[in-house]
Amino acid sequence: MAEISIQVNGRQQKHEAEPRTHLGDFIREKSRLTGTNLSCEHGVCGACTVLVDGRPVRSCITFAGACDGHEVTTVEGYDDDPIMSRLRTAFSEKHALQCGFCTPGMLATSRDIVLRLPDADEARVRIELSGNICRCTGYQGITAAILSVLQALRDQPDAQVDALRAAVVQNVQQDWNQNGFTTFDAVQEDVQAPAPVAAAAPAASGRADKGKGQAIQGGFDARFPADQVWAFMKDLPKVAGCLPGAMIESQEGATVQGKIAIKFGPMSAAFKGNAALEEDNERRAAVLRGEGVDSLSQSRARGDVSFQVNPDGPERSRVEVELVYSLQGPLAQFSRSGLVQDFVRRMIAEFGKNVNLRLEKPLAEGEEPVVAEFNPVKMFFSILWDRFKGLFRRA
Amino acid sequence: MKAAKFEYEQAQSLQQIQDAYGSDPSALRLMGGSQSLGPMLNLRLVRPGRVLDVSAVPELRQVTAIKGHVRIGAAVTHAQIEDGIYELLRGHMMQKVAGRIAYRGVRNRGTLGGSLAHADPAADWVLTCVALGARINVRGTQGSRTVPMSEFMLAAYTTVLEAGEFIESVDVPEVSGSARWGYYKFTRKVGEFADASCACYFDPATRTARVVIGAMEGAPRSLPELAVKVAAQGAAVLEGDTIEAALQPYLAQRDEAHQVLFRTVVERSLKQALGVKG
Ligand SMILES: Cc1cc2nc3c(=O)[nH]c(=O)nc-3n(C[C@H](O)[C@H](O)[C@H](O)COP(=O)(O)OP(=O)(O)OC[C@H]3O[C@@H](n4cnc5c(N)ncnc54)[C@H](O)[C@@H]3O)c2cc1C
Ligand code: FES
Ligand code: FES
Repeated sequence: MAEISIQVNGRQQKHEAEPRTHLGDFIREKSRLTGTNLSCEHGVCGACTVLVDGRPVRSCITFAGACDGHEVTTVEGYDDDPIMSRLRTAFSEKHALQCGFCTPGMLATSRDIVLRLPDADEARVRIELSGNICRCTGYQGITAAILSVLQALRDQPDAQVDALRAAVVQNVQQDWNQNGFTTFDAVQEDVQAPAPVAAAAPAASGRADKGKGQAIQGGFDARFPADQVWAFMKDLPKVAGCLPGAMIESQEGATVQGKIAIKFGPMSAAFKGNAALEEDNERRAAVLRGEGVDSLSQSRARGDVSFQVNPDGPERSRVEVELVYSLQGPLAQFSRSGLVQDFVRRMIAEFGKNVNLRLEKPLAEGEEPVVAEFNPVKMFFSILWDRFKGLFRRA
Repeated sequence: MKAAKFEYEQAQSLQQIQDAYGSDPSALRLMGGSQSLGPMLNLRLVRPGRVLDVSAVPELRQVTAIKGHVRIGAAVTHAQIEDGIYELLRGHMMQKVAGRIAYRGVRNRGTLGGSLAHADPAADWVLTCVALGARINVRGTQGSRTVPMSEFMLAAYTTVLEAGEFIESVDVPEVSGSARWGYYKFTRKVGEFADASCACYFDPATRTARVVIGAMEGAPRSLPELAVKVAAQGAAVLEGDTIEAALQPYLAQRDEAHQVLFRTVVERSLKQALGVKG
C-alpha cells in the first residue's frame, strides 16, 4: 500500500491504494465517483476515458501511482466547463444518449475534439471518436452533437472557449512533400535476405473439430528411416520430450495430462491441459488433439497437430506437420496470425531438431529430458547463424 | 481483469533508473506511458515484481539538435510529437506519423521509447524509425551504446536490450528541405495496429533511399533494391511489376488478400513521396 494524492474534480483525494490500482478503480472505489465506467480494462473501448491535467487518457491502463500529484477531471466534475455545457445540451438534442454507458468517455473525447480541432469536419470527428466504442451504436447522434457544437462556435465565437483553446498547443499545420520528386542516384543499403515464411491458410472445414481455426503447415527432415521415426513419433512421452517447454504429468493409454510453457517477448504463459493421440499405423500418420488453459491469464488454446512420416529413400524421412489451432482470451490479443505462424514455424524446426537428436542419442533408462523454455530469441540467433554459414557455402 | 501485485516507483533521474536495477536487473520492468504494459499487466500476461516509471525523468523528455539529427528523449509522448510542440520536429515525418498512432487518449501517454522497446511488429514507430535510419541510444549499468534501428528489433516483442539497459533517446534525421517520404497503413479500424504498412524515405542530399514494409512476422523488412529504383526512376517505377517483384520473396507464401494489401500500401506510400495523386 502507498498513499496516493490526486486532485479529483478540484478536491484533493488522499487514499491508501495498492500500486497495482489503476486510475479508474482509484476514482470509483477510493473517491467514490462512479460516473466513470470500466469495461474492457485494456485500453480498447474508451469507456473509462477521463482527463488527466486536462487531457483525455484511459484510466484503466493508467496507474493511480503515476497520477500522484496530478489533476483528474471526471464526468462529475464538468459543471463549470464551457465546452461541456454545450456538449450536454447537444447530446440530448441530437439523441446522442441511449443507455449512457459510453457517455462519460464519449464526452471526455468530444470535449477534446471541440477544444483541439475547431475546424474538424465529419470525417475527422469520426476518426477522433474511433477510440470510443458505443454498444448502443449511438455514433450518428454523437457525431451530430459534436459537429453542431463546432458549428455554433464558428458562427458565434465564445470568449471562454477561445481562452481554453489558446491554452492548449494547437496542431501546427504543415505542408508535407510540397515540391516534386527529383530523381537521384541513391546508395543501396545492405540487408539480409528474407527468411522463408510458413504457409498459412484458414483451416478447411472439418479439420478442426470445433470452432474456427488457423492452419499452419510445416515439416522437418529426419536422418532415419520412416518406420523408426514413426515408432518414435507415436510414443507420447518421447514426443513431448522434444517439444520445447512441454512436460507430461500423467498418462493413461493414448491420453496425457501435462503443460507447456511458452515465452513470447515479455509475455509468458503455461498452458495446462490434456492431449490425446489418434494413430493411423498404415499411413504412419497421427493427430494429437490437445487443449489447455493458462491459469494466470485464463487464455484458452486448442489445437490439432497432424503429422505424417513419409520415407525419403531407405535411410531418411520427411515429417509433414500441420497445426490447426484456436486461441481465446488475453493471449489472443497479442497473437495476430503472422506472429503465431512465425512462432509455430520455429517451434516445429526446434522440435525436428530434437527428434533427430533423440533418435541419434536415445535417453538412458530413467533419464528425464531437460525441459527447455521455448526461447524465440535464441532461435532467432540460430537462424541468423545458419544464414551466415549459408553465405560461406554459397561463396 | 486486474494486474497481479507489483511494487511501483517513479524515477526522477537517469541515475535513479540505473540504481534501481541493482544486483538483479531482470526483476525490474520499466514503465513509459503504460499503454502497452498496462494492458499486459491487466491481462496478467506479464507479472513483474517491480515496476519503475521513467516517464517523468527530465532527460528523457527533451528534444535537442545533434549534428544533422534530432535527438528525441525516450519518454516524449506520441501526442507531443503530433502537436508539434517541439520546433525541431515540426513538419517532420515523425509528426505526421504520430497522429496516426492509436487514439488521442493513448497518444497522450504512450512514449516513443516504450513503443520501440515493446517492439510490436505492427507498431508505427518501429517501422518509421527503420525507414528514417534512426539510431537508438541505449544506456545501461555497463555503459552506453548506440544501435541502428535496423538492428535494434530482433523478433516480435524482442529487442537487443539486455537486462539493465534502457532506451535513453532516439536520433532521427533533422527536417530537410530535400527529403521526401510516405507512410501508409491498413487497419480494419482507425487506431488499430496495422494489417499491412509501408514507410519510405528519400533524401537526395544524403543519397538516402529506403522503402520498408511493416506488420510482418518480426521486424520490418527493407526493400533496398526497390528504393534505389524509385530514387533513379521516380514515378515510372509505379508502372509494370517492379513493386510486385520486390515484394515477392516476402509474400510468396502469404494468402492473396495479404499480397494485395502489401502491394497497395507500398504503392500508396510511394505515391505520397513522389507527389503522385491517387
Ligand atoms: C488501444 C490501443 C491501440 C494502440 N494502437 C497502436 C497503433 O495503432 N500503433 C502503434 O504503434 N501503437 C499502438 N498502441 C501502442 C501504444 O502506441 C503504446 O503507447 C506504445 O506501444 C507503448 O508505449 P508506452 O510508453 O506506453 O510503453 P509502456 O507500455 O510503458 O512499456 C512498453 C514496454 O517498453 C518497456 N519500456 C518503456 N520505456 C522504456 C525505455 N525507455 N527503455 C526500455 N524499455 C522501456 C516497458 O518495460 C515495456 O516492456 C496502441 C495501444 C493501445 C492501448
Ligand atoms: S475500460 Fe478503459 S479503455 Fe476500455
Ligand atoms: S449509449 Fe449505450 S453504450 Fe453508448
